[in-house]
Amino acid sequence: MNNVGTSLGGRNLRYAYMDHWRVDTAQGQVSQYSSVERFDAFLKQVAGVGFEAIETFDFHLGALRDLFGSLPAAREFMQSRGIDRVLSLFHAVMYDARQSTPHVRATHDHIVRYAEYIMKSSAGLGVQNFIVMPAGLYFDVEPVTDDKIRACAELWNRVGQMTLEGYGIKTCCHHEFFCGIRSAEQLQKFYDWTDPRYVFLCLDTAQHVIAGVDPVDLFVKLHDRCAAFHLKDTHNIDTNGDYRRKPDAEVMAPTTARWFYEIGTEGGLVDFPALYGAMKDVAWQGWVGVEHDKADVGGGNYPESTAIAAWTIRHQLRPIHD
Amino acid sequence: MTKWGYATNQWKAGFTGFARMEQQERALKVTAACGFDAIELTAGTGRWDPMGRPENIVKNFGSVDHFRLRLRDWGIRQVASLFFDPLQMSFEELHHGLDCTDRGQHEELLQQAGVFARFLAEMGSEVLVVRALPPHGRHGGLDADRQACAADCWNAVGAMTAALGVKTVLHLDALSPLRDADELAGWLERLNSATVGLCMDTAELTIAGHDVTAWYRRFHGRIWHIHLKDAVAIDTGDEYRAPNAERALLLAGGARRVQRWFGELDTGLVDWAALMGALRETGYAGWLIVESDKGPAPAAASMMQNAWTVRHVLQPLLDGQQRQGETR
Repeated sequence: MNNVGTSLGGRNLRYAYMDHWRVDTAQGQVSQYSSVERFDAFLKQVAGVGFEAIETFDFHLGALRDLFGSLPAAREFMQSRGIDRVLSLFHAVMYDARQSTPHVRATHDHIVRYAEYIMKSSAGLGVQNFIVMPAGLYFDVEPVTDDKIRACAELWNRVGQMTLEGYGIKTCCHHEFFCGIRSAEQLQKFYDWTDPRYVFLCLDTAQHVIAGVDPVDLFVKLHDRCAAFHLKDTHNIDTNGDYRRKPDAEVMAPTTARWFYEIGTEGGLVDFPALYGAMKDVAWQGWVGVEHDKADVGGGNYPESTAIAAWTIRHQLRPIHD
Repeated sequence: MTKWGYATNQWKAGFTGFARMEQQERALKVTAACGFDAIELTAGTGRWDPMGRPENIVKNFGSVDHFRLRLRDWGIRQVASLFFDPLQMSFEELHHGLDCTDRGQHEELLQQAGVFARFLAEMGSEVLVVRALPPHGRHGGLDADRQACAADCWNAVGAMTAALGVKTVLHLDALSPLRDADELAGWLERLNSATVGLCMDTAELTIAGHDVTAWYRRFHGRIWHIHLKDAVAIDTGDEYRAPNAERALLLAGGARRVQRWFGELDTGLVDWAALMGALRETGYAGWLIVESDKGPAPAAASMMQNAWTVRHVLQPLLDGQQRQGETR
């Protein structure tokens, strides 16, 4: 048999696609969750280049129920297309000091209740990881003090214990370059002060590089805590303090129209071969998430970025780890 | 083992598009990411087509050997074939299209075909795919003289490529003046069966109203190469006869304003279970070239979906598995 449509997975790693997808239609760009037909095409396309799971945002749970009647039915449909599960759910919380923000202890009960609601309402998809941004936007948190980092740690210890012991799901912290816990020093404190049984790292390679943190070094230090990856690349380090600029750093930074690129982009700053070497050194095994957030900025498109990332994994990275 | 390849004709929509080397690289990496390690090139013209002419390949890649190595770096191990439409204009040969039914144009056509055949031979490629006939609208149905003239042309091309170790196959499209299978069978008798074969295009024939499995079974001894794509509509009004059918029917959709004639594999009218069964029964050993010709942007979406369908539908059918009941 040829390699057409075969899995990207090797002996130790399997691959999940973190979904920011949009579909070009006669009505402009729309979500693939807008119809079974579009969702079907999406699944076939990501499975067609070797992904075996998807990751998505928790706000898509309702759409999946609408399309398929139930989440187990949605998973059965995915499996019929070669996609085993929704590996990770990204928890999209509206951080606001009035209701939910990790460094404000008074909001913790609400955050834990909402997280548990998501645990209950996502059953049936095969979710293994619950991905959270562990602190609010930097400009909402600053000055970032030890006490604020400790407050965040207390919260995610509670959430992590609940998700793991109650639902078998790992809580993984994903540090956007514009979030309140972003520097090497802040990261070290946060992981020192969280319980290694309950709080894990989702290593987002591009976010750390933009924040001036070497993701390979971070993985070497925290590999025992690393339970998930979002592999993507960037062309820029934030040297202008965009991370703290209002109203938004991610899509409105005046210096940088597009922060994120797919693995394999020309001029990317993430040292993926070194990361794969470090993963091999510690015999890291499991699922790896691949992401290219906002691939369409500037005329790109999600399918092509997905295929380029898959090409790079298949031809350059997988041999390192295998 | 089935020989799968992917065409490249979905990427270049116009002269100046898809001209930069980084675009070529990304396109072929997308192809390789889908698991296809062989491609079919399309003959082009002009300086904006780095892979469209042998001399352009030398200018852009350094040499044919460097081209081969670069393809290998990108995950493409073989150029299976090249599609050449002599009716397209050529800046290099300074013509506005060559007609195989006009004996006065044969020498030039043979010369141009030789440019591509020698390139294919140097690449170790197997097949030169040529557009068999001008569209019906150009001359109407082909009279005996024009049929004989076209046959002579392709026999000459077939002999020339065979001497280089390259097969010549004739690609019959939806606008072909030989739409009737009996008429085609008669024309095939004029062609040298040792040096000239057929390229069956599943979508083009479906649009022309054929059952592709029946067509394959009738002509399979002459079919050396296959283009796979689906068709979502049939030319039920014989609009292929219109003088401007290439634009009015195929690009503008004809009287019914068909938005898209070609589709991704297993999304249209082709009975893939029947066709794959026939290929299996007859031991088809040629290339299966998947196409996303005239698909909507982005091209990668169609290719990735087709990779899934090859893996989960077509290859299992070729292997003799029954088609599974689909979810929803």
